[in-house]
Amino acid sequence: MKEDKSGIISKDNFRRMIDGQLPWEEVKKVIRNSDDDAERFKNYIEILQERVSWNDRILLRISDHLYIVLKDSGERVVKCDCGHEFGDYRINWKLSSRIYARKTDEEIAEVVTIKEARHNTELVEMREFFCPGCYAMLGVEVVPTGYPPTFEMFPDLDIFYRDWLGTPLPDENEEWFQDKTLDLPAKWAKEA
Amino acid sequence: MGICYNNKTLKEIVDERDRLFKESGHAYGLQRLELVEEDPAKFMRFQMRLVASCINARESAKLISANPMSMVQGELLFMLANAEGDVVSASYGLAGHIQCMPFIVKNIANMDFENDPEINEGDIFSCNDPMYGPPHNADCYTWLPVYYKGELVSWTVGLNHIVDVGGIQPGGLGVFSPSVFTDGFTYPPTKTGVNFKQQKWWELHWKRRTRTEMFNILDDKMRASGIVALHDRIIDVIEEFGVDYYRKGLKEIIERERRVLIKRVKSQAVPGKYQYLQLSAINYKDIPGKLWPDSNRNWIIHKTGELNIQADGTLLTDCEGLTSEGDFHANSYEPAVRMLTSLGLWPMIAYTETINSSLLYMTEWNIPPGSMFNPQNPFAGTVMGLGVIAGYIFMFHNCLSSAFFSRGYLEETFPADGTAVGYGAAGRLEDGFQWAGGDMSLITCQSEGATPFQDGFDAAVCSPNPASDIGETEVVEFLLPTQVNIGKKLIPDLCGHGKFRGGLAVGLLQFTNKPGQSLVINAFAATDGMGACAIGRSGGYPAANDVVIFAHKTNLRELLENGGTYPRDFVEMTQWLEDGTLTAESIDAFKGPTPSIPCGDGDLFASAAGSNGGWGDVLERRYDLIEEDIKYDWLSEETVTTVYGAVIDADKKVDIEASDKLREEMRQRRKDRSMDARDWWMEERKKVISKDWHQDVNNMHADCLKYEKYKKQFLGMWQLPEDYSVEEVL
Repeated sequence: MKEDKSGIISKDNFRRMIDGQLPWEEVKKVIRNSDDDAERFKNYIEILQERVSWNDRILLRISDHLYIVLKDSGERVVKCDCGHEFGDYRINWKLSSRIYARKTDEEIAEVVTIKEARHNTELVEMREFFCPGCYAMLGVEVVPTGYPPTFEMFPDLDIFYRDWLGTPLPDENEEWFQDKTLDLPAKWAKEA
Repeated sequence: MGICYNNKTLKEIVDERDRLFKESGHAYGLQRLELVEEDPAKFMRFQMRLVASCINARESAKLISANPMSMVQGELLFMLANAEGDVVSASYGLAGHIQCMPFIVKNIANMDFENDPEINEGDIFSCNDPMYGPPHNADCYTWLPVYYKGELVSWTVGLNHIVDVGGIQPGGLGVFSPSVFTDGFTYPPTKTGVNFKQQKWWELHWKRRTRTEMFNILDDKMRASGIVALHDRIIDVIEEFGVDYYRKGLKEIIERERRVLIKRVKSQAVPGKYQYLQLSAINYKDIPGKLWPDSNRNWIIHKTGELNIQADGTLLTDCEGLTSEGDFHANSYEPAVRMLTSLGLWPMIAYTETINSSLLYMTEWNIPPGSMFNPQNPFAGTVMGLGVIAGYIFMFHNCLSSAFFSRGYLEETFPADGTAVGYGAAGRLEDGFQWAGGDMSLITCQSEGATPFQDGFDAAVCSPNPASDIGETEVVEFLLPTQVNIGKKLIPDLCGHGKFRGGLAVGLLQFTNKPGQSLVINAFAATDGMGACAIGRSGGYPAANDVVIFAHKTNLRELLENGGTYPRDFVEMTQWLEDGTLTAESIDAFKGPTPSIPCGDGDLFASAAGSNGGWGDVLERRYDLIEEDIKYDWLSEETVTTVYGAVIDADKKVDIEASDKLREEMRQRRKDRSMDARDWWMEERKKVISKDWHQDVNNMHADCLKYEKYKKQFLGMWQLPEDYSVEEVL
């Protein structure tokens, strides 16, 4: 294995870290120099882009499997690495997933095997969110009945690319940072 | 004529500081850092002299204390503030407290302490009242003005977490207190000493208003001696560098490090909105009876937070929707929020040259009036408000981890859940000797949450306290003479699962030995059956719940006398109870804080906390990691099969073919029993319309709907009419 003497992570080691294969001693060297790594985001996107089977431009990785991508059509959508698309990134992707809610002690017991530590199912349910394409588990939330699904991350992409990276996106618009999540239940209500 | 530079009053310089920042966006209006730029080496030497002075004060003063939390677990801090109250340097220890001192100085400035009771050279001031700056009354502050040639140039400050606060429950982490009148000994800013010495009358208060006079008086002496020693060292520094350099240098420290924090956010994070949620409960129903009727109910505590990483690199936390203030122990004020939540910022962004209050210049909070962090009732109970605020430490851990992950800084991620058990105990031995104490060893040493690239380390970190230490059993047994520690170990299987799993919980098992006339134990815990965090990371499961179990009147003494052995944690204890090896007359089991539980000879007190959440999908966990889990007994075969879909063969290896097949079946099961979000939404909406939920959930929604932001989200998500409402049911 090549050693990163500078503390700036090499692309090879970066790949290993993404895969969970970089030894902790090497990770610690990287931690000591994180501030100075100007190429980090560019390298990250390049590595991620070469790993997915599709060609849409990755704008941001938001979880192990999910990316915000820029489509040729100009849309910015959430996309799973399996290729499944969740639609406009301004709408919480959880509302376009498959959902299973664990509501009983028996159902919780499948994932919390120590019974004394299990959740109180009178108060909360455990919601699991899956990709409709590959059924990877994308999110878990433990909330009371009726709790609106949490929108975990809504990035301000235009500010990020223009002001923080210095590489503005071609289609900047204030509308890109408007949460549109509630449009979807409104549509469902009308359809119902 | 004021006591500060150019004869200004304390209030004038504090107001000027605020105005300059508001107008310029720079601390003290400093566009340039002249001293730093002119001679960086000299400036570094200056700054390190201040740090060394604080550390020296801590290391020598703590030898005066007899309190294990100060001696061993680092629950103390010595710091240096400038005249305006901004902390510019601190020792090791309870670093978050640097956030409180600016509030304390501002309060005494606004109350014109300068004229009455006067702030003279050698005066010692004390405070533990959360309304004026300290976070809760267990954290006692003692401070001293530093004068140089008649000018107030600084404050030296010492604080520590005391053993007992004299509240309605023993210890300093009470979980029942309807108001400030049951919180215990709570004193607003008070001049308690002159001529660099505490006065005798002050000792009498510790003696008469707390249970642990000896510990508390020694702690007070520790704080007072530390700030006097620090005062003298600071005078030396001023003599060496000159007072003009000193005065200006302290301001440049704040501005320089503010810039470092902004730069770090901009270079490692991604701007945007990040949602955080943690839920816990306060369960008072049937405890206060007729004595406190307004407290005779339960509350679900809704800890909601939206972290806004703003375009300019500053951080705005909006906690609109947070549970309203109540007649309970867990209210608090902004300084407490700033103090404790900063502990989530130190490891994420705020690791700078020194510990200082520059965070106050790049973080903002929206805390609605009437919420539990902004109570309008001046007598709100606050003895353990920190227990709720602690949840927001992990907002910074988790939301910033998401941001760092997205930016590619995987190694900077440091997710964590809210988990901790501490306890207080008080008793009267056979000969009438009264004692009280507390133990925080499961608070001050926890496991790490899983990161995107590896499992969380076990028993490795402590977010509420930078001095992670699991405590010394012998010291705790000296403090708590009836409690014999018979087990302190990791609990297999108790972690949040994921592609990478969180670190395991740490468990403690104690045997009660000859308590004499009486003994009560009350435990604090961070969860309440709703888990340690409401949101998992990247498809991983968040940590489950803390565990507290009392087994009363067991036969353990008899087992030991007959040459038997003993269980070591709550899992073994409950197994022994189930198979009949161990017998108990009764069991009290909790997944959260407890009321005061009377305990007797032969009782067992078991607790476990500190497990953390996983990262990623459990079905993607590597088989080699699972084989390690099995080899070291970190996970049981049952768990790796049911949770991770791994089949273990007779040689304790993963049967790859069988496991691949099982995982495929588990994926198919996900497909079979999940539903499209739209169908799920329709089902859930029906429940919301019919209000088909538990009374406590009903009351949580009723309370949260008072806040416009939550109401908009809730009505919009479920497409409900504007006049939809939920009535509180008590």
